[in-house]
Amino acid sequence: MRAGTPRRWATIALAVIGLALVAMPVVFDMFARAPKGAQMIQAFAPFMTNARLNGYHAEMSTIGGAVTDAPKVAQRLYARAPGSAQARFATEYPTFVAFEREWHGIYPDMTGMIDTIQHNLGNYDAVAALPSFTLFPWFFVIPGVIVLALLGLGIMRRARWRSVRWALVALGLALVLAPAVFQMFSRAPKGGRMMTAFKTIETSGRVARIQGYFGEIAAGQGAVALELIPALRRSGESAAEISTDYPGLTTFDAQWVHILNDMTPMIGAMSDNVANYQAVAALPPFALFPWFFVLPGLLVGGVAAGGGLRRLRRARDESSSDVLSSSTEGVI
Amino acid sequence: MTNRSLPRLGVGLAALVALALAAVPASAGQLKGTFGISAGSYFRMIYPAAAKSKSKYFSNPYSTDADKTYTLVTGGTDGGLRTGVLQPAPTPAFDAKGNSLAGRIIRPTSFTGIDFGLVTLGTAPSISVSAGRLSGQLVGFTAQWNKLSFKQGSSDVSGTYNAKTHAYVLTWTSVISGGPFNGFTGYWHLQGKFVS
Repeated sequence: MRAGTPRRWATIALAVIGLALVAMPVVFDMFARAPKGAQMIQAFAPFMTNARLNGYHAEMSTIGGAVTDAPKVAQRLYARAPGSAQARFATEYPTFVAFEREWHGIYPDMTGMIDTIQHNLGNYDAVAALPSFTLFPWFFVIPGVIVLALLGLGIMRRARWRSVRWALVALGLALVLAPAVFQMFSRAPKGGRMMTAFKTIETSGRVARIQGYFGEIAAGQGAVALELIPALRRSGESAAEISTDYPGLTTFDAQWVHILNDMTPMIGAMSDNVANYQAVAALPPFALFPWFFVLPGLLVGGVAAGGGLRRLRRARDESSSDVLSSSTEGVI
Repeated sequence: MTNRSLPRLGVGLAALVALALAAVPASAGQLKGTFGISAGSYFRMIYPAAAKSKSKYFSNPYSTDADKTYTLVTGGTDGGLRTGVLQPAPTPAFDAKGNSLAGRIIRPTSFTGIDFGLVTLGTAPSISVSAGRLSGQLVGFTAQWNKLSFKQGSSDVSGTYNAKTHAYVLTWTSVISGGPFNGFTGYWHLQGKFVS
């Protein structure tokens, strides 16, 4: 064998690695799933800021303020009536009281969810800073195709095998370095943590539950605006007095349209991305992603470099043997 | 073919023609004009089963009906829903608070504190009548609310039509796909008089 021609075992190994790289996105259905991840990351972007999430917390407190004011309203409206003011209030305003009852479950659930999202802001930012998910399948296919193309070139033009081998070593090195360049070792596990945290949030059941909350809160606001505040006015309080005495009630009413404007798109984004989340969750764990580059990189680089070394040694041996042979011949 | 079989064939063909004629309605035809939207027209929103709501229907506190699960609608500047042409959204479609400014089909109506309006987009509505029965498609029928659009059309609307009084009733359901009300079903009931 001439120095620089590809060895059989190296050829087979490189072909297997190249094919594996090309096949990996197909095996993991990355062409369908990865773009869904990109869509999810993009759709969440407007909501994944401390300012926006603090705003949601403030809105929850605003809604809760109306519930806090309810006993005062009952006292004002029915203090002189026979029996318990609260009981009378419950009889007269069943829609608000139903909302009040539901709110005790809604508030911890919603604030808990917002807290979870907020705790994962850093994780989200880390994932968003990675190259677009849409490109992910190509990060495997393109190196795989390059490996196969270089291998083909090396086989067809054996004289160029030496150059091809070094190109493969360079490609392997690039694959090894890629995760470090994109900070995947730190960012990908954070993405994994975000996916785990959102496991209980991005479900159709959770979204439906929040849709139900929306109905309850809307009914409560309607009761505040159309029943409680008018009743307080009828009781003799001016608008200014109501605003001073029942700030929770009036703030909820005044802020309602803003709350609707703000919350509705979030519910929409959650709802629209359930399938996208499921697609990303079905991909291999995020923490493994850097190793999907490093391991093939080491293999490509190692096989290309190793395959050549032995060949060179053999070539050297053959060369020495020729020299020895000719020397011996000379002696003889 | 024998001479005896010819009369039988004739009878068979005549029977087929008679059956075909019976199947064709006497007064089938497109109704091109405006389906005026009058009192009694309404919209209801049905919760998805997964929402596990205590009520089947979403309650709109701002409804003018005693039963808040009915949101009553009345005709807009065009008087109602036009067939054969589109009634698109104005520009801008919403005000700063998200109230719909689309007022041609219905007068924008409060839904949980924000007005919704109706438009037809893409495919113009087409309704036909046959023996007093209405059928057709309203696939471009779209509700606009809170700076969002919700496809609420159907390719299978049905109803009744009185050719003498021009009174009609049209009903259909449409499942909302995507967005904050994903999975909800809109139930639409329009009634009034048709004007060609």
